[in-house]
Amino acid sequence: MSAAGMRCPACGSTNIVDDDLYSQAQLVCVDCGSVVSEGVLANDPVGGSDVSFSRTTAVAKRPCTNLIKGQQRVKAICRILMVNREIEDLSQTYYKMAYEHKAFLKVSLQKKEILTGCCVLLSCRQLNWPITVGTISCLLDADSMAVGAIYQEMVKNLSIEAPIINVTDVIEAHCHEYKISSLDVPEELAENSRDLTKRAVALVELAADSWIVTGRKPIPIMMAATYLAWQSLKPNKHRLKFSLDKFCQVAKVKKLKSAMKRVAEIKEVLCKLGKEIPWVRETVTPDNVIQLVECILQNRYALLRRAMRTHEDALLEESQASCAEAPPEGTASSQISECADQTPITSFVKQNGSNSDGKEKPGDVDYNPRVLPEHSDTQESQNPPPNWGKRVLFAPPCVIHAKKRRAVQPEHTDVTGDEEISDSEIDSYIRTPQEARDFALMQQMLSLSDSAKS
Amino acid sequence: MDSSNDEALDIIITNVVATFRTRCHLNLRTIALEGTNVIYKPEVGKVLMKLRKPMITASIWSSGKIICTGATSEDEAKLGARRLARCLQKLGFKVRFSAFKVVNVLAVCSMPFAVNLINFTKNNRPIASYEPELHPAATYRIKNLKATIQVFSTGSLTVTGPNVQNVATAVEQVYPLLFECQKPRCK
Repeated sequence: MSAAGMRCPACGSTNIVDDDLYSQAQLVCVDCGSVVSEGVLANDPVGGSDVSFSRTTAVAKRPCTNLIKGQQRVKAICRILMVNREIEDLSQTYYKMAYEHKAFLKVSLQKKEILTGCCVLLSCRQLNWPITVGTISCLLDADSMAVGAIYQEMVKNLSIEAPIINVTDVIEAHCHEYKISSLDVPEELAENSRDLTKRAVALVELAADSWIVTGRKPIPIMMAATYLAWQSLKPNKHRLKFSLDKFCQVAKVKKLKSAMKRVAEIKEVLCKLGKEIPWVRETVTPDNVIQLVECILQNRYALLRRAMRTHEDALLEESQASCAEAPPEGTASSQISECADQTPITSFVKQNGSNSDGKEKPGDVDYNPRVLPEHSDTQESQNPPPNWGKRVLFAPPCVIHAKKRRAVQPEHTDVTGDEEISDSEIDSYIRTPQEARDFALMQQMLSLSDSAKS
Repeated sequence: MDSSNDEALDIIITNVVATFRTRCHLNLRTIALEGTNVIYKPEVGKVLMKLRKPMITASIWSSGKIICTGATSEDEAKLGARRLARCLQKLGFKVRFSAFKVVNVLAVCSMPFAVNLINFTKNNRPIASYEPELHPAATYRIKNLKATIQVFSTGSLTVTGPNVQNVATAVEQVYPLLFECQKPRCK
């Protein structure tokens, strides 16, 4: 309301001015000082304001402290591993995404810590920087199974694809961990890291070709390869006497139990190849094969081919010697050329232990169904035909030393599920009243004697 | 079960797990006292009863819910379950055999070739996953069949699924994928 055109109700003068009292608008008469009209104290709309209480009192949303801590941990892990900037940024992004994903929002703090390592692992894999789950679990001081589980969950929830690392990629990084350069150990034990890596990579490739790497954990294999590489680079008596334990102590690396088994397996393969070297006169044993390692690795493909051929010839001779008839020759050669086209196989869904010779791996026997009947006629002394592990020169150890199957249960193909159940059968599962009383008595006596003793 | 290719494989069922209900409360101490081949586990609150023929182990809870494991076919599981229910009846409980359901079937199978797991996983991401540091086999999960197949590099498979038909279908589905990633057994 304007001051013009208003009369003071008290004195009638038109001299009215705007004289606000603090924030309240007031129209006051100059002559008598009375307040003609005043505005509202506050400008709140009737019925409540449009803006809600929480919005007016809201503070800017701060990121969760655990998220910040986690991101700092991610950065720390990246710095320890000395990865490049790209990987660090990518891991930070992944960590933020995963942390805010509903699957990980309410998990325990321990899992969130493991999540930091998994993000680093994922980004390293995507950007071709080979590290193993073992390294991450070491850094996080967590069980590698737990790390693996969370890693898989994360990959599933964020729908990211990560390539799988090969052992040969990781071995270089692994070899660098071994403190075996001339700065750390005496000259006679020292080895150049580059030579060591090169030799170890060649050994791992050889192991991969001969079924040692497949399905095994990579770190024991790398450890075994590094150890054998170190021994073979200077195969003098001193080094050959060094056991795996001592080597790991000198190199300040934690020894793994299964590395010993891998060492034995690789040595076996090296022996098989060492036998094929034409100029070696003496018999090749695991003890003296280390000196030949350099030679074997340089010519490994040629030696592999020779070993295969020798083995095939030996098998052929064997089968010719044991069975005089013509058909078995055909069977032997059909067994050997397993890479050839598959013969049709009869199919049926069976219960445990389908074959008459229960020891056999089923897929194996049925692979050559026409072969089997003739085989069992001509080679009755040899129980079941050997599994493919024994027929081929190189096979995974789990196939060569296959577990013996239990004795076959009589087949229950005639069970329908709705048959009559006779009373006598059921009675065999129930104790007679006398037996029950005896049992109760015995239990009482046992509990009494226990309480007497204690 | 007709397969589209003329090569088919031996699938051996090694375990069938089934559950059923007796619709009455069971006194576990009575069962432990009067039954043979029975192990009572009071700390867990159940009784383990083993049948000889078929070779089945049953976990019996006092609420009347029973889980049978160890059968080698669905019918055998049903027979074993009925035998068990009959046994409990004879022990004096008012048992009514109901809600029989096969819950899980485990089968093994062997391919006539070895499999290159890295290629197999590359071709079938994200359905297949392979972490050699954690487990030696690649895992392939078929969502619509609810079946999980573990593929080993030697060509052996273990398949788990809700029933035998699903297991067989799962093997059929995965066979061509494995075939294209095969590894010759001799090098």
